[in-house]
Formats: sequence, structure tokens, C-alpha cells
Amino acid sequence: MPIRILIAEDEALLARALADSLQRLWPQMQLAAIASNGIEAVTLALALQPDVLFFDIKMPGQSGLDAACELADQWPSDQALPLLVFVTAYDNYAIQAFEQAAVDYVLKPINDERLRQTITRLQLHLQSRATAANAEQLSAHTMTQLRALTLDAAPVPMAPERLRTIRATVGNQIRLIPIDEVIYFAATDKYLNVVTADSEVLIRTSLKELLMQLDAQQFWQIHRGTIVQIKAVRSAQREPNGKLILNLYQRPEKLAVSRLFAHLFKPH
Amino acid sequence: MTLSASRLQLFFQGLPRSLLQTLIINLLCALLVTYLMHVGAGFGENLLFSMCIGLVAMLLINGARLLLWGEDNPHEIGFLLMVAILAPLSFFIGSLIALALQGHPTPLSALRQTPNITGFIVLTLLACVGATLFYWNRQKMASLQARNAVIEKQAVMAQLQMLQAQIEPHMLFNTLATLQTLISSEPLRAQHMLDQLIHYLRATLSTSRSEQTTLGQEFQLIEAYLGLMSLRMGLRLTYALHLPDELQQTPIAPMLLQPLIENAIRHGLEPKIGGGDCTVRVTQQQSMLVISVIDTGMGLDSDAAYNKPTSTHLGLENIRSRIDALYGSLAELTLTHNIPSGAMAQITIPMRALLAD
Repeated sequence: MPIRILIAEDEALLARALADSLQRLWPQMQLAAIASNGIEAVTLALALQPDVLFFDIKMPGQSGLDAACELADQWPSDQALPLLVFVTAYDNYAIQAFEQAAVDYVLKPINDERLRQTITRLQLHLQSRATAANAEQLSAHTMTQLRALTLDAAPVPMAPERLRTIRATVGNQIRLIPIDEVIYFAATDKYLNVVTADSEVLIRTSLKELLMQLDAQQFWQIHRGTIVQIKAVRSAQREPNGKLILNLYQRPEKLAVSRLFAHLFKPH
Repeated sequence: MTLSASRLQLFFQGLPRSLLQTLIINLLCALLVTYLMHVGAGFGENLLFSMCIGLVAMLLINGARLLLWGEDNPHEIGFLLMVAILAPLSFFIGSLIALALQGHPTPLSALRQTPNITGFIVLTLLACVGATLFYWNRQKMASLQARNAVIEKQAVMAQLQMLQAQIEPHMLFNTLATLQTLISSEPLRAQHMLDQLIHYLRATLSTSRSEQTTLGQEFQLIEAYLGLMSLRMGLRLTYALHLPDELQQTPIAPMLLQPLIENAIRHGLEPKIGGGDCTVRVTQQQSMLVISVIDTGMGLDSDAAYNKPTSTHLGLENIRSRIDALYGSLAELTLTHNIPSGAMAQITIPMRALLAD
């Protein structure tokens, strides 16, 4: 059975070269597609369901890391995640830590010897994935590593000041919202929606910035774009399609938990 | 009121230093008159006269300078004219004081009978002019040294920044990766790309060491860089360079333009899915040189303060402080939105400041 591979790389020459090298060193492999940016990478992966992904880290649209996280969120939960290999010209994500792991990496310019090692590792993983239990374990492993990577990539706060009050501009006045009243934060394009029991206001901050100023015991990140105050959560519930959602006490809407954070709601 | 008060303050501030210099010159004059010219009654008396004349001259000239020009550099001819009038005057006033101190006050009319009076006046004049020139030179040297120190510091900082940022590892390794693939499939293109990489590396490394380059040379470097980038980005990058022939040889400090172009690529065009265009244009508008780097990329963050002195954009701040140190406060760097998309960085420098060095 051919191994289907998706390559995401914005430089056409390099994408072609990687495809050629893979073809040469791994005859069973079949190129599913080449994506030229981080958005296309996710859409094509979801549409084509490849076995292995080679994601360039620095891409237009979104980084390979973000694309992988988004893909993990949207991947059908009854299927094993594709195996993931990051490609980068310069290692600023401390990816070496994953040398022997489910998530692999190769450095550009790509060297045949190193690529051969990656292929051997991929073949081993693909074999072990044949049993469902192993596949599950491998997916879980990938998730852990992706989580660790995204945290690594976040800037280290100098001296994170705990946030007590949210200040939001509404019309010509500034509303002050005590942090305890916030039920959840949801990221939109450039803004952050701050939701309390009876109001919603927009503030101009990134989720990452906010996360550093919150008490990690009180507020949990449950999705790339969502942080919830955990005492506002009534229950976690698994949908028929396998997705995990949260019911809230004071709000009717349900919040989706991404695969990346689903482990937080495992029963003891 | 405040003006004269501050000038008075200046006068007293500079006094101890001028006093010491004046005393030394007075001593030299007394020695000269006594032992070389062999005139006067003896060293003691000559020294007294020399001290009185010298001190009066110093006080008059310094006072008049501050009164007329304040802290600014005096007008050269005006200043010499002033010295020419004040030196003989000091001679008469100083002599009268010296005679009075000796215990035989003399009317001015009697003083004119002094033997060798023209010689003394000429000597006073020469001493005054000499002292003035000496003082002037020292001031010039001091301000020159201060300016050099600032520029030197900026240069070191720029060099550091260049080593860290200019040959950005991402850019270098991606370029090498592209070269690696082209070598076997398209050797001619690989050759061309290698040439451009060599040119870029050589220019980047050598300009970091030289203090001056020309706009023409800077444009060659930019062309090599954009050439490399367009090979890598393919259809996603188009570019245009406009430098009028008459500005080719205009001197410019290195590493002012290149960081702006690399910013346009790195922050503007590389992250944009569709890519875009980068245009670099140099024009002379009246007495100003205007360098514009225009891209149609991601554009500026509408919240960030790019043009404020408190801007946290280190690269921009570095360029800003360098053009300020090199070309004075009229030179500036601004970053604005480009219509309909992208950003425009613009450096303006007075032509006079560019051609001064």
C-alpha cells in the first residue's frame, strides 16, 4: 500500500526537491499534494487524509506549528492523526528535543542521510500504528509534543503581573470587569471577546499575552482560541462525532474543547 | 533678562580655564619682552605690565564674545575685527592699571610717550590673536571628538546588529537549500544564484567594515538580495529599483537602506500568501535626498508606534539614531501605510549633510 505524503512549503523549488528526495529514498511513498502556505496545508490535509505530513515551520498564512495545531483540532477523532515531520531552515524552536519522538524534524538544506533516518522512523511508526491501541497512543503522544512546542514558542514573560480587572472600551466609557466575573475569553480575528454572565465586550489583546497574566488554576485554555474559567463549567460532554464540548452554568452556548487540550477532561 | 543672566553664567563658567591660559601667555610675553627684545625696565616690571594687559584683554574679549554671540560659534571676521579693536584698548587700560599699581598713576596722554609703543601694541595684538586661535582650535577638537565618539559607538552597534540580523540564518539556509536543489537540475540557474549570494555576502560583510559607501553600491547589494529572494519566492515577489544616474556616486552610510528592504520582505511580503511588490526609489527633492522603500505586503500594525521615539522596534530605532548622529536632526526615518496595502519606509537626508564628509 502506498504511503501518502503531504508537503507544505512556500518555496516551490524546495517543495519539489523534498518530494524528489523522498521519492528516491522511499519508493512506496506517493505525493498526495504540495501546499504552499499554512492555510492550504490544513485544508489539503483534511481533504486528502495523508499518512505523513512534512510541514515547513515558516510559511505565509500561518506557521507550520499553528497549522499542525489547527489540523489536530479539526481532525476526525475516529482516525489516527497523520505522522508529522517539521522542516525548518533554522532551528529556533528547540525541536531537537523531539529527535526520537513521534514528531520529527529535518533541517534545510536537507541531507539524504538525515532524511533516511526520518524515513526509517516513519516506517516504524506506520507499522506500529496498524493496531488501534498503538495508533491511539501515537496520536496522544503527538498531541503532547505539539502542546509542548506551542508553549515553547510562546515568549517567556519577564514578570507576569496577575490580571485582576479587564478594562474594555465601550462607546465613550471604559468598563471595568473583575476577572472573577469572566466566564470565558474567545479569540476573534484581531480581538478577544470577554464573556460574562450578562455581557460581551471586545478587547485588543492576544490570547497568548492574556494567558500569561491569568491564574492557570482558575483559567484553562481549552482551544487555540478559547480560555474558560473552570468553575463556570457545569460539565464536559462527548458528542456523537467524538468531539468534546463544555456546558456552562450561566451561559447557554457550548464551548468546544480542542483535541490538543482534551486530556484536561479525562476522568480520573 | 534671562538671556544676559545665562551669558553671565557662561562667562564665569569658562573663567578659571581662560584665566590659567591667559596667565601662561602673559608669562611668555614677559619673558619674550625682557630676554629676547631687551626692552623695558626688567623682568619684574615687564611681568606686571604683561599680566595687567593680558588679563584686561582676556576679560574684554571674552565678555564681548559672549555679549555678541552667546554660546554660538562667533562669526570669524567679526571676531578678528573685535580683537583688533580690543587688543590696543587692553594695552592702554592694562598699562594704566600697572602704572597705578606701581604707585605713579599716569594720564593717558603721557602714556603715548612710552618708547616702542607700536611694538607693544603689535605684540598685544599677536598674543590676543594667538590665544584666540588656540582656544578656538581646542573647542573645535573637543566637539569633533565628542561627535566621533557618538558615531563610533553607533557604528559598533550597527556592526553588532548586522552580524546578528543581516545575514539572517533563515535566509542563508533557505538560499543554500535552494542552491542545493538547483545544482543538479538547473546548473545554469544555480550558477547565477551562487553569484548573487557571493555578491550579497561580500557586500554585506565588507560594507559593515567600511564607513562610507555610495548609493550605487548600495543598490547593487539590494539588487543581489532581491534577486536571491525572487528566485526563492518565484512569482510571489516582483521588484523595481529606481536610482537616478546623477545620484549614483552620492555617499551614504552602509546598512541604512538594506535593513529597510529586508524588513519589507521579512515582515511584509514573505508572510503574505499572495506575495507582492517591493519598490525602492531614490529622488532628490530640492535640498533633500529621499529614499523610499515601498511594499504591498502585510502592512503595519495599526496600533504600534513606529514613528515615536519610544518605539520598541529596535531595527528602526537603530537606523534612526544612526542617521541622527551622522546627518543631524533634519534627517529622519518615517514609516507609513502604503495605499492600498503594505508599508512605506522613507529616509530623508539633507544633501548638504550627505556631501559634507
